[in-house]
Amino acid sequence: MIEIKDIVKIYRTGSETLTALDHVTLTIQEGEFTSIMGPSGSGKSTLMNILGLLDSFDSGKYFLNGKDVSDLTDDERAAIRNKEIGFVFQSFNLMPRMNVLENVQLPLVYAKVPMKERKRRAEEALKRVGLENRMYHKTNEISGGQKQRVAIARAIVNNPSVLMADEPTGNLDSKTTLDILRIFQQLNEEGTTIVMVTHESEMSAYTKRIISFRDGILQSDELQEPKVLPKGGV
Amino acid sequence: MFFKENLKMAFDSIFANKMRSFLTMLGIIIGITAVIAILSVGNGAANQLTQTFSDLGSTSITLSAEDETGSQEMITNEDIQLLKETIPEIEYISSDNQTRSELSSDFETRTAVAWYGTPDIQFTNQSMDATVIHGRYFNQNEYDDMKNVTVISEDTARALFNDRTDVVGEMIRLDVNREQLNLQIVGVVAGAFEDLQGTFDLSQMPVMLAVPHTTMSQLSSIPSNINSLTIQVETTDDIEPISNQAVRLLEIRHNSVGENNYTAYNMLQALDQVNNVLSLFINFIAAVAAIALLVGGIGVMNIMLVSVTERTREIGTRKALGATTRTILVQFLMESVILSLIGGIIGLMFGILLANGIASVLGITPDITLGAVGLVILFSSAVGIFFGIYPARKAARLDPIESLRYE
Repeated sequence: MIEIKDIVKIYRTGSETLTALDHVTLTIQEGEFTSIMGPSGSGKSTLMNILGLLDSFDSGKYFLNGKDVSDLTDDERAAIRNKEIGFVFQSFNLMPRMNVLENVQLPLVYAKVPMKERKRRAEEALKRVGLENRMYHKTNEISGGQKQRVAIARAIVNNPSVLMADEPTGNLDSKTTLDILRIFQQLNEEGTTIVMVTHESEMSAYTKRIISFRDGILQSDELQEPKVLPKGGV
Repeated sequence: MFFKENLKMAFDSIFANKMRSFLTMLGIIIGITAVIAILSVGNGAANQLTQTFSDLGSTSITLSAEDETGSQEMITNEDIQLLKETIPEIEYISSDNQTRSELSSDFETRTAVAWYGTPDIQFTNQSMDATVIHGRYFNQNEYDDMKNVTVISEDTARALFNDRTDVVGEMIRLDVNREQLNLQIVGVVAGAFEDLQGTFDLSQMPVMLAVPHTTMSQLSSIPSNINSLTIQVETTDDIEPISNQAVRLLEIRHNSVGENNYTAYNMLQALDQVNNVLSLFINFIAAVAAIALLVGGIGVMNIMLVSVTERTREIGTRKALGATTRTILVQFLMESVILSLIGGIIGLMFGILLANGIASVLGITPDITLGAVGLVILFSSAVGIFFGIYPARKAARLDPIESLRYE
């Protein structure tokens, strides 16, 4: 469960200051599939970075699964990112010299999981995204949609509390986009909490909750009945 | 715990840019090649010198006397007797001098080197063989009585007496600066030049003879006083104490304690000096090679900085996935160490090849020590760490958000 209270994030460049997040309070329960929306500069990416423990904030409190994570060292944050958070980036960010299986194993390497166990869990994660036949391909030998599925497998391989996706389909065509959304819905149904940043309402339509930002201020927070994609076929 | 993964990542990254990695290593390769080749050849040369010097007489001491006036009799025949009697470790002791001369028999005249000293010159002299093949060596009585006797070498006999060697009893005439001395041959020793037969024109080589010092000093150009001695001791270990003892004894006898009139000198000291010069030379070249290594190290640093910049996104991603500062630091450090180490090992192999090549041209055996090999491994790792630490720290300290945004 994610709980943030009164979060303020200010960017200072020289004499100018920009309030990226202005007293944001928000709770995301386990099992939710939430999209964070807003135009560019609205603060949604900043919120994502803070929720993903990549960035610090100026004031407020952040509780992750009941634990105060507001004030941690870089290495403590790295450990929590490794264990509790799975990232999916717009540009996939796969390691170019590693094959698919090695890429998926990477978070487990940092978690110091033994090699055999690592391989087993990576294979399982790849099965969940339908890529069990591409395990030994290099990342430059697979399509964009497949790359993002590898990234999703990598994000879920260490069983994180929450999967954070930042414009995950920004580099994909519409058919592949639906594939990715289908996987997200499936993972969510299996219990994974997902937070997805997007600026497209076609995307947020597939989520259960939509939180909108404008100029660093939380504008709206609505639950909805998501559009459902037919299962399977990935 | 990340060792295996880091090792794999390092190799992957190095092999992903083969040409670049090789060019980067080149500085290290050249530096290490030079260091190994120089050290091996240098040590080989030093070994050879040591061998040569000990063959030449590591048990021989040269004692020389000198004072400001130069006129005083610094070493007397009594001194020589006394030294021999009081220091049992002294095997042989003789003045050991030579002069250029001409030597004539009834048949032939040849340029000659005339050696003169006490009867022990037979053993202290390195140029004439001590093996008497005809007659005998001149003795102490003949020395004391300034008898006109001489010992010549076998090839001298052949040269002067139409290839005869048993010439004991024959007379020869010695010419030194237009003064003559008629000498009777009492003995013939083995020839020094036998083994040179065929390689040199022996008729052009000076012949050799040995004469008592006292006899020689009848000539006005030969000083009667003795100003240097050659002492033969039993073992190398005797050199230091016997040198000191002999100098001390002479100083006491001539009331010149502390005046430094007597100095002992031996081949080991000469060897030390030569070795000092050699090691100075080796160190100088090694320092030049070390500069090559330094330049190589800077190359490693440069390429690692490029690598860190190129892989900013990768670093950001790794951090997002849970890599700590330390993990990233070790990863990049490992890469630069492996890079330097591979360079070092290639350099080691080339160095050994080069050392063998140079050594075979110079006709010596290269001395490739385990220490030198260890030094290479240690040194190239150290170069990797030293020049890798800055780029690795830079990578480790990257901000994850900015790195993820980096294009």
